[in-house]
Formats: sequence, C-alpha cells, structure tokens
Amino acid sequence: MTSVSNTASKVLGAALVGAAMGLPSVQFAHAEAAPERGIISFKYLNYADSQSSAVSSSSSGSGSSGEGSERRGVVRGVDVISGASAAGGASSGSADRININAYSIMAMTPIAGKWSLGVTYTSDSVSGASPAYHTSGLTTMNDLRRAVDTQLTRYFQQGTLTAGTSYSSESDYVSKSYSLQGTLSTEDKNTTFSLGGSLTDDTINPNNKVVVNESKKITAGLIGVTQVMSKNDIAQINFGYSQGSGYYTDPYKLKDNRPRDRDNTTVMGRWNHHFQGTDGTARLSYRYYSDTFGIRAHTLGVEYVQPMQNGWTVTPLLRFYSQNEANFYVAVGAAEKATPTTPTDPPASATYYTEDQRLSAFGALTAGLKVSKQLDPDWAIDAKVELYEQRGEWALSGKPDPELATFSARSIQIGISRQF
Amino acid sequence: MKEQIMKKTVQGVLLVAAAALSACSAGQAVQPWEKGTLARPEMTFEGDRLDNSYTEHIYSSKEGASGGSGVGGGGCGCN
Repeated sequence: MTSVSNTASKVLGAALVGAAMGLPSVQFAHAEAAPERGIISFKYLNYADSQSSAVSSSSSGSGSSGEGSERRGVVRGVDVISGASAAGGASSGSADRININAYSIMAMTPIAGKWSLGVTYTSDSVSGASPAYHTSGLTTMNDLRRAVDTQLTRYFQQGTLTAGTSYSSESDYVSKSYSLQGTLSTEDKNTTFSLGGSLTDDTINPNNKVVVNESKKITAGLIGVTQVMSKNDIAQINFGYSQGSGYYTDPYKLKDNRPRDRDNTTVMGRWNHHFQGTDGTARLSYRYYSDTFGIRAHTLGVEYVQPMQNGWTVTPLLRFYSQNEANFYVAVGAAEKATPTTPTDPPASATYYTEDQRLSAFGALTAGLKVSKQLDPDWAIDAKVELYEQRGEWALSGKPDPELATFSARSIQIGISRQF
Repeated sequence: MKEQIMKKTVQGVLLVAAAALSACSAGQAVQPWEKGTLARPEMTFEGDRLDNSYTEHIYSSKEGASGGSGVGGGGCGCN
C-alpha cells in the first residue's frame, strides 16, 4: 500500500535525482562532440484506431459501459463485459476503438562544453474501447499517463557516457527505469562501439483489483557497433537481450494467463545512405525479435528524407512488420464464431493462455509522410501523418487466426522546436 | 567463469560485427574533412526524439515485439 504523500515524494525524488521516464530510450548514436546549442521541442500526437467487425459498447445499451469518465477497470469487469460485448447488430462497418491525445515537451541543454542534460515530459490521455478477448467484448476505458525522462551525457575525446532515468505513472501502472550507456570510438572516429544496460521496475495495481501490488522487473543489455562506410554511408548493428519476470498477464482481459518470465533477443541493423544527386537520404532499418513467449518478429523500415527549397523537407516512409503467434495463443473457437458473446475456453490442459489479438500471428503495414520546415536558424515546425493496418493474412509465418478482424489506425503529429 | 564467458562472447560478437561492417566499407577510411554529409541530422541514427518516442510507444502497445534500438525507457500498462 502506497500513501499519496509517499507517492508524491517518490515522484519528486525521482525528478530530483535526474530521473525520468522514457519512451525516448537512449538511442545509440555516433556523435561524440557535445552539442553546441540547446533545444526546446513540443509535439502533439493524436492517434485513433478502429476495427471492422468490432461492436462498440455504447450500442449495447449497457448502463455502466457508457460512462467514459470512469477510470479503466472500473467499467472493465467481467460483469460489464457481458452487457457491453458484441451482441449482434451494428456488426458491419468500422467501429472506433482507442483515441489518444498526447503532448510532449523536451528540453536539452549543453553544459560547459562537456555535458548535455535532456528532460522530456509526456502526458497522454487514452479513451475509447478495448476488447476483452479476441476482437470482441469491447469495454470502455479511460486513462491518463504522465512520464518524465531525464538523460545526462558526458562527452569525452573518444566516447560518451550517458545516464538515464525514467518515471511514468497511470492510474493502475507505475514504471521506474534506470539506464547507463557508454560509447567508445576509434581514433579516426569511423568505428564506434556501444554498450548499455537498463533496469526497469514496474508496479501494477489494476483498478478491477484482480491482483494487488503486482510487479514486473526487467533487466536489459545492448551492445552495438556503428561504422562509417563511406562519406555517404553509415551503418549500425545492435544486439539486445532482455530478461523480465513478474506480472505479464493482462488484468483486463478474459481468459488470460501468461508466463511470469519473458526474455527477448533483438538484432537490429540500420543503414543510412545519402544520394548526392538528389541531396536526399535513404534510411533503412531491419529488426529481428525473438522471445520466450514464442514470438518471432521481423520489422523492416524504409524512409527517404528529401530536402527542398526554402527550408522544407519531405519524408515519405514505409514499414512492414510480421510476427507469428505466442505459443499459448488460443484462437477463436466454434462457439465464439457463432456467438461472439461467448469467449472461447482455453484447452483444459493449458497452463498458459491468451486471447489477446496482439499475441496472434499477423502482419502490419505503415505508410507515412512527414513534412518539416526550418523557418529560420532557430525555429522549425513539422507535421506527420501515418496510416497503419494489421491483418492475419499478412503474417510471414505462424498460424493467423482467420476470425480476427482487420485492425486499422491513423496518427497525426504536429511539432515545433526552437534552438537557443 | 560465467562472467568470463560473457565477456568473451561480447568481445567476439563486437569483433565479428566490426569486421563485417568494415569489410563492407571497402576502400580508404573516411577522413575528418569528408564528414560534412555524415554530420547531417538525417544521417544520424538518433532522429526526432519525440517522434521516435510516440512511434515506439504506439508500436509496442499494438504489437508483440519491442525494443532493439536503445536501452532504458519505461514501461506502461498498455501492453
């Protein structure tokens, strides 16, 4: 049990030590010189997703499910789900699911020519409906997440050392993370080795109280090498390993019981090539992911950064993702297929099971466009639009669940930044 | 003992990776005065940090895989 004042002091403490949250994880870079200028950036995100055959809970007429101001979990209980789920009707067309509005502000300043300090604050509010099993049983949810991330970097002649801390809090989830990363370059600075590690300690208190004070601890390490290949090419390979233990089950889903350990391995390769003819830059990335849930995933990203006249830059991008299903994923059964209000029972012998569509086999495509403009030497603005779709039949491997509906999302980002 | 094996593995992996990357970069080493293009923001692997953080957050909450590009960063109740 954590009292409010205790939590507040922890938040303050975390902030004071230079703590913080982090989705902007410490990215492996190759620059060794301390930045000459500081920067302040602001970015707004709006995200909305939808699923073709999902039925929104508001159409069910359930008394408690329509109260969007409720914290998630309060309205997401088994008793509510039966009333809020896809009980026939309105099953055609596309139903809106989750909507996110997020704001981030980042400030980074050089200190004494040898250090840099960066702080990022993010607030995101999530509302909408989420399925309790497969793509059915939609129940409304609402949550606010706040996160602070701080990074302190010391620059040396041939390397850097970065310490980072993260803190984030939601009504039911608190995450604390600490990281340390070092880089070391050869004398000609054409080869840079990187080594990093992080510890994450999460506390989970679902609002529906199916568990209390659960935790999840993750230890992760990453090693990599960045190589200048030519004056127009730079490449990077990173190997990552992460070991996690604790509560991985989704407390708001039905028929969900996941192993308490999840370890993963990643191999990531990136290549940037500059075309002198067009002055554009192609950025390629590939990631292989493998974990002890049995998921193997491939991610391929391509983007092309094209500078134009008057400070404009246009960046089209494509991303393809594919994963096979977790080895304890339970597909939609005959009864559920006939009546979506009847969740499929896992096999009687199964210790672990999930009906979370995110652990099924699928492929996903993203198409996006980013436009930015450098207004003057100090100010820059940017906007980005992305369209995303997940389909079982796009999976490169594994057994897709044909009963899962296509999942689509779109996101818009608008940003402004000033150097000083 | 275990630490030594880990250390050896780490050294080995790095050497192989460096050798592989160097082998691809045939020809002479790039000189400091030839690095104007490499210094451009789009040629670094860092990119737009706020954009990256939003994007990684969304993908990690909608897909089974996550991570690979860096260390640290907090979790969330979204996945």
